[in-house]
Amino acid sequence: MRRAVTLLSTLVVATTLLAAPGAFEPARAQNPITQDGQNPMGAKPTADSVNEEFLFKNADKITGRISIPDRKAANLIQPQGREYQSFREHYLPWIGAALILGMIGALGAFFLWRGRILTEHSQESGRKILRFNTFERFTHWMTAVCFIILSLSGLNYIFGKRLLMPLIGPEAFGALAQWAKYSHVYLAWPFMFGVVMMFVVWIKDNIPNRLDWDWIKAGGGFIGKKHPHAARFNAGQKGVFWMVAGFGAAMSMTGLMMLFPFALLDINGMQVMQVIHSLIGIAFIAGILAHIYIGTLGMKGAYDAMGSGKVDLAWARAHHDLWVEQEQAKTASGPQLSGRHPAPAE
Amino acid sequence: MKAFILAIIAAIGLGVVAMYALTSNQTFAYQAFATSGARVSEPGTNLVGEKWNGDPQTNDTGESAHGKATGEPSHPKRS
Repeated sequence: MRRAVTLLSTLVVATTLLAAPGAFEPARAQNPITQDGQNPMGAKPTADSVNEEFLFKNADKITGRISIPDRKAANLIQPQGREYQSFREHYLPWIGAALILGMIGALGAFFLWRGRILTEHSQESGRKILRFNTFERFTHWMTAVCFIILSLSGLNYIFGKRLLMPLIGPEAFGALAQWAKYSHVYLAWPFMFGVVMMFVVWIKDNIPNRLDWDWIKAGGGFIGKKHPHAARFNAGQKGVFWMVAGFGAAMSMTGLMMLFPFALLDINGMQVMQVIHSLIGIAFIAGILAHIYIGTLGMKGAYDAMGSGKVDLAWARAHHDLWVEQEQAKTASGPQLSGRHPAPAE
Repeated sequence: MKAFILAIIAAIGLGVVAMYALTSNQTFAYQAFATSGARVSEPGTNLVGEKWNGDPQTNDTGESAHGKATGEPSHPKRS
């Protein structure tokens, strides 16, 4: 009896297994797509349908159809945005950190190696000569103050959420970032105005000439103790001037393109402007760090030029001997303490 | 020091002038892109909510919602 039951059970299971494919066949026939995406005829039913690859052969982005007047809203897929995002989120912070921290490290190493550049005492020590008049100092400081705030608020765009937000929390960071954005957008205008004023005031003394090459070959007085001849501005100062003029113009143009979105450029163009703006901005900050160093800690007596406007005559003779001769030649009485003529900068 | 103080005052002054000049030129999107044939929803009742806190159900009329536009509201769509 037990053997008969076992035989019967085996027969039922075998019958079920054989009949199952036939039972599901009608359902399978309803959906001809098999696992590999092919139907039984060997054709791919979606082969002729429009896909991303096909659309990108016709244009660099995929747009839809809209009825509102803002045509930009029709933009659906723009692959360049992913490249921009990748740069913005992955490469830019590292480039920024490397350049700025690299410059700070280099200046620190230079200070440890060279120390503070001093001026040898002479019989002219203690007498003053006007280096920058009030208008020149006003122009310099207006641009400089704006630049510092623009730099900090600009760096906040890159590093704020990574470095500041974990420290002060999202609420405080949100408020700070909002005010930083306001200052960035509005102080850009006095900065641009200041760059234009500095360019006009100092261009005549910053035309490169043969003296600059000799100054560079002599190491600019940084190497060794002898200072090469220089007129109102030496080659290093001329470099700072042209860097500010060039970078300032580039930052202004790219910034204006972002301040007035879609006025001249589409979304791609503005992304390119943002990439240029950020890269030049970082290089600008690194360059100005060197300028600040040599104008304050790096060289004794240099800050007075932009501080009070008057520098020690011995300092001026050591660093800008040709300019001192020109100034003294203007009158027979010596240093131009009340001079109306603008004097050089650091 | 005088030049420095003057420079700061001038920078702030020019910044304020720039602020007024720029903001006076701006219109809200729902105003700029609304025409007789197209209506753009008034912000403040969008998915992030009136207070931009992710809660669209917030109905705090005691204070103005952050980011909510002022001006003439758009008319609801009638279909």
